[in-house]
Amino acid sequence: MVTGPLALIAELTHRCPLHCVYCSNPIEMQKASAELSTADWIRVFGEAGHLGALHVHLTGGEPLARADLTELVAGAHAAGLYVNLITSGIGLSEKRLAVLIEAGLEHIQLSFQGSREERADEIAGTRSHAHKLQLARMIRQFKLAFTVNMVVHRQNLDDLAEIISMVEQLAPDRLEIANVQYYGWALENRDALLPTRRQLEQSQATVSAAQQRLSGRMRIDYVAPDYYAHYPKACMGGWGRRLMLIDPAGQTLPCHAAGVIPGMAFESVRQHSLEWIWRESAAFQKFRGEAWMPEPCRSCDRRGEDFGGCRCQALLLAGDASATDPVCSLAPKRDLVDEVVRKINSEVGPVPTGEPPVEGWIYRPNPH
Amino acid sequence: MAPESTSRPRLAAGCRWAEPNGAERMLLYPEGAIRLQGTGREILERCDGQRTVQQIVEELQTAFRAGDPAQIQVEVAGFLERLQQKRIVDF
Repeated sequence: MVTGPLALIAELTHRCPLHCVYCSNPIEMQKASAELSTADWIRVFGEAGHLGALHVHLTGGEPLARADLTELVAGAHAAGLYVNLITSGIGLSEKRLAVLIEAGLEHIQLSFQGSREERADEIAGTRSHAHKLQLARMIRQFKLAFTVNMVVHRQNLDDLAEIISMVEQLAPDRLEIANVQYYGWALENRDALLPTRRQLEQSQATVSAAQQRLSGRMRIDYVAPDYYAHYPKACMGGWGRRLMLIDPAGQTLPCHAAGVIPGMAFESVRQHSLEWIWRESAAFQKFRGEAWMPEPCRSCDRRGEDFGGCRCQALLLAGDASATDPVCSLAPKRDLVDEVVRKINSEVGPVPTGEPPVEGWIYRPNPH
Repeated sequence: MAPESTSRPRLAAGCRWAEPNGAERMLLYPEGAIRLQGTGREILERCDGQRTVQQIVEELQTAFRAGDPAQIQVEVAGFLERLQQKRIVDF
């Protein structure tokens, strides 16, 4: 019997006032007119709680763009779910946060794009950095778990010590520093975002020192870019194993990016129960378990740890969603990743550290 | 940093107990959940912001009479320190 999902990722909307060049939303976004209703979402939260889900991560786009967010938080809380809000903060006020907490919000994750205002705003494609600093101080006045999410890449990784000092002043419980991974919008901008090996090694030393210094005050988690890994990550904890994502229109996915895999039918919560989708639908079974695995995964000792890595990365890099994740050093197609990394680290790399791409960023637009 | 014997540990903001669908009691926190057994659970359930570390140690020493009292004291301090680093307990 398949257990789970343990957590639900609810992309409430793809509308967003920011246009981050590494946004995890798909290139083909859902329109506002296609979004699920309040009642649909609340029903889905109830089904998720019944299936054994513990957490719901309300995200977007910008979830605060939903006028009914308070009702959605209350609905998720009533379903017994632990409610987390992942936000840029745009649209949040002291009054609105108080109401959300009253409705059951327990954890807030506020994103930042760096420590230098001009460069952070350039990455976000809009002025927002200064406002986020104000919001962080406001959030800290409330009694809820507070995490700062910091996305790092070649343009800001050299500022990491300064970034950590900035966040330290904001006093969140946690700082999650995550390198960009290359899907969707980030893949479009990869030549300007992928860090150099020197930057990555330096950043790991910076993080280790800060973790020791801040132990017991602020927890710091650090996620390295897959392209520099020796083995792949256990993407989403394994396909259809722990997590279910629901997009703004009600389409169910095993991860943020799976919509790019051709030939898949991702079912909608408008037509089916969450339980049927999780247990029975073809899409969630497609890469669940080990039967689909090619060699070298099939006989690899690590297959129960990383589940063959990321299916979307396999598709995007090797052109085959069933291939071993090319970031694995054992993958037949690892040379594709090595070539990208070699190019970035060569003296004549396409973009020098800390400078925007000559040809300009490809920004994520706001769907209509 | 190990807790003082007079400090009163409590669950950190955003951490709470839950019994989802009547399942065994677990602790929910921002990134996950833990199902604790044995002494870990005995300690954490006493982190109510009322009891001091010293009181928790004494209660555990009473509950586990077969255990070495000095060892229990060390274990409680170490456990609380680890959970504080994970931002699950404050003291």
